[in-house]
Amino acid sequence: MNVVVDPAGGSTAVAVPSVDDVPESQPIAWRHRHLLDVDRLSTAELDLIMRTTDAMREVLARPIAKVPALRGRQVTILFYEASTRTRVSFEVAAKNLSADVVNIAAASSSVAKGESLIDTVRTVEALGAQMLVMRHSSSGAPYLAADIFSGSVLNGGDGWHAHPTQALLDLYTIRERLPGGSLAGRKVVILGDLLHSRVARSNIWTLTAAGADLWLCGPATLVRGFEAWASRGAAGRRFHLTTSVDEALRDADVVMALRIQRERMASGLLPSLREYAARYGLTRERLALARPEALVMHPGPMNEGVEIAPDVAAGSQSVITDQVTNGVAVRMAVLYLLAGTRVPS
Amino acid sequence: MTGPQVDLEISRAWLVDPTAGREGPGEIVVRGGILEAVTWLSDAEADGIGPDGIVIAPGFIDFHVHLREPGNEDAETVATGLAAAAHGGFTTVCAMPNTDPALDEPSVLARIRAAAAASGSPVELLAHGAVTTGRAGEQLSAIGELADAGVVGFSDDGSPVRSAPILRSALAYAGAMGGLPIVDHAEEPSLTAGAEANEGYVATVLGLRGWPAAGEDSAVGRDLAVLADVVRDVPGARLHLTHLSTARALELVRQAKAHGLPVTCDVTPHHLAFTDEWLAGARRWAWEASDDPWSDGALVGPPYATSLRVNPPLRARGDAAACLEALLDGTADAVVTDHAPHTEVDKAVEFGLAANGISGLETALGVLLAAVDAGRLPLLRAIGALTVGPMSLLAGRSRRAAAGLAEGSKANLVVFDRSASWTVTPESLASRGKNSPLLGMDLTGRVLLTVADGRLAYEAPDA
Repeated sequence: MNVVVDPAGGSTAVAVPSVDDVPESQPIAWRHRHLLDVDRLSTAELDLIMRTTDAMREVLARPIAKVPALRGRQVTILFYEASTRTRVSFEVAAKNLSADVVNIAAASSSVAKGESLIDTVRTVEALGAQMLVMRHSSSGAPYLAADIFSGSVLNGGDGWHAHPTQALLDLYTIRERLPGGSLAGRKVVILGDLLHSRVARSNIWTLTAAGADLWLCGPATLVRGFEAWASRGAAGRRFHLTTSVDEALRDADVVMALRIQRERMASGLLPSLREYAARYGLTRERLALARPEALVMHPGPMNEGVEIAPDVAAGSQSVITDQVTNGVAVRMAVLYLLAGTRVPS
Repeated sequence: MTGPQVDLEISRAWLVDPTAGREGPGEIVVRGGILEAVTWLSDAEADGIGPDGIVIAPGFIDFHVHLREPGNEDAETVATGLAAAAHGGFTTVCAMPNTDPALDEPSVLARIRAAAAASGSPVELLAHGAVTTGRAGEQLSAIGELADAGVVGFSDDGSPVRSAPILRSALAYAGAMGGLPIVDHAEEPSLTAGAEANEGYVATVLGLRGWPAAGEDSAVGRDLAVLADVVRDVPGARLHLTHLSTARALELVRQAKAHGLPVTCDVTPHHLAFTDEWLAGARRWAWEASDDPWSDGALVGPPYATSLRVNPPLRARGDAAACLEALLDGTADAVVTDHAPHTEVDKAVEFGLAANGISGLETALGVLLAAVDAGRLPLLRAIGALTVGPMSLLAGRSRRAAAGLAEGSKANLVVFDRSASWTVTPESLASRGKNSPLLGMDLTGRVLLTVADGRLAYEAPDA
């Protein structure tokens, strides 16, 4: 069975192989060996990922949600930061594609003994890794890995810089749940700690590429540096920045709250969690400023009662669990597309 | 060990003599290492000789280099550092004291002088002493003994002089002892803790921890306030601010000089010619940079190259333009390379973990000539910033360096081909530090010959 993707066309569905096809032979217009960032993905490429995700959703709906697309391939998940949901999401995605999955939590490996990142990557490659999913606390670290790894590197989050699959699953979720399915001209708000957020940074690229009217909002200390970005609009894609939560939320179509970490108080960026919750927390009253059907999102893990009220997180407008489900499908899609570009050995 | 005295005749070259404030067609004759004749040609005789051919200038002086010996010889030794200097056209270099052990008393100075002698290089090695013992910022180093031993200044470079009271004491103590400068690396550590890249657009997009300009500006403000206080009692006190990188810091120095404070400063080639957009993968000169490298196809390389990690960080184009402006109006007295060689091990790591510093001795001339080519910097000023400028900072402490082309003196000069380009590669660099962001790029102004103290320091393989 063939997979046919027409990157230029809008309607062609992606059929997922149900037999052991070799992805190299397929006419997939996917030219990236790695997924390190989303800043250079074209609109057509984003569409391709979205349509591939549609196909993966279809796989997930089957009684046995498993296809052999990555059979015989080793996917190594190397996480230098604690994470449950993203790591498990990647693992489930890879296993759904029949990959062999190796999990390395850096704290329990030789990394704790001072091994360099380059040595670790060489070691996992020598142990058979063909695809490397990596999370690291230092911005840019996946670029270093990609420079020496002969397979594909998939950025599972680096420092404050990027979280590509989160942005892709957010984009997918919004397109799926927003009436009409298009983000063009729709007001999307990202609310909270932008300064430390790789989720926000990646979402800026993908949401502006999708044509959203993007608004970023947070206290002045946590939006530092974003004015310079907003005013230029990288690659001409402008967005709005405000410290006024009312201005941001008014008539919004989508509201995404970001996690506030307790360390921010110790570093003098915020007076208290209580004050943050009172001024920037996404409460039912604040949400009433947005459109009645506005979507509520959160990349998790949540501090309920701080950046988002429990009744909002669990409310009828919340698509937070959809984000988690779609995360598996998006990661399957990305693994699948990256595997297709790998040079056969 | 030492090479023979040079005999050399070069006719039909372009001579640059910053001491005389003069450049033009001419000829030189060196016999037995002595610059015997310097002949300036008339227009009639010049016949097509221009500044784009063979150029002869006084040997360059670098007031700020790191030679890593003792303590980190894997990154550089005195011998390899002097070889790098000669390849870059430098005939005098001033080593910073952040070695291990720090150069905080005369025996370390004796040790690196012995290494320089053993290297056989005719390049002159001078040194700064530490301001504080072990550069720990707490207790004054052996300032008097180091002054007697011949250091050219005092610096805790790599770090600022941490405490204001220590800075105040050091300015007074050294100032009363022959007017040696305190050379401060101006940085307010509480504003730069964990910082990775100039705070602004590029750092925000790349998710790098911001290094605010205020981290430098506030330190310069502190230093100038302390200096103003000290000079009332000790007129000989002198402050030199090294590798300034922000528009505001340079403006503060400009104003201080206008008020007559005894302050000098320098800028580096990388801060005036590169900008923070290089971190995103751009490789265009600061004067060609735009507001948004993401929008105009300027990103030609991968982001997060650790060869660009440097302290102070590469700044925005307005700051780079201010560095160039400061050089043009004399606010900046000199260009220094802040040559900071590092091993592969210290650079082939995550950006946030990489050592700060750029290997710069061998590319300084080429980078300045790029500014000259772009019409941003007169050739005479570029050469002056590498010769007469740093000479003025040495206040007679060099026995050899000459900032001009004076007949009858020992020859200290560099000969370069203004229009010949060379590609910066690891193999082309004599330094052990291959940490240059210019690797793979072409620079013009290939050095053909460096003569130091009348002897051959460097000769291009095919010259």
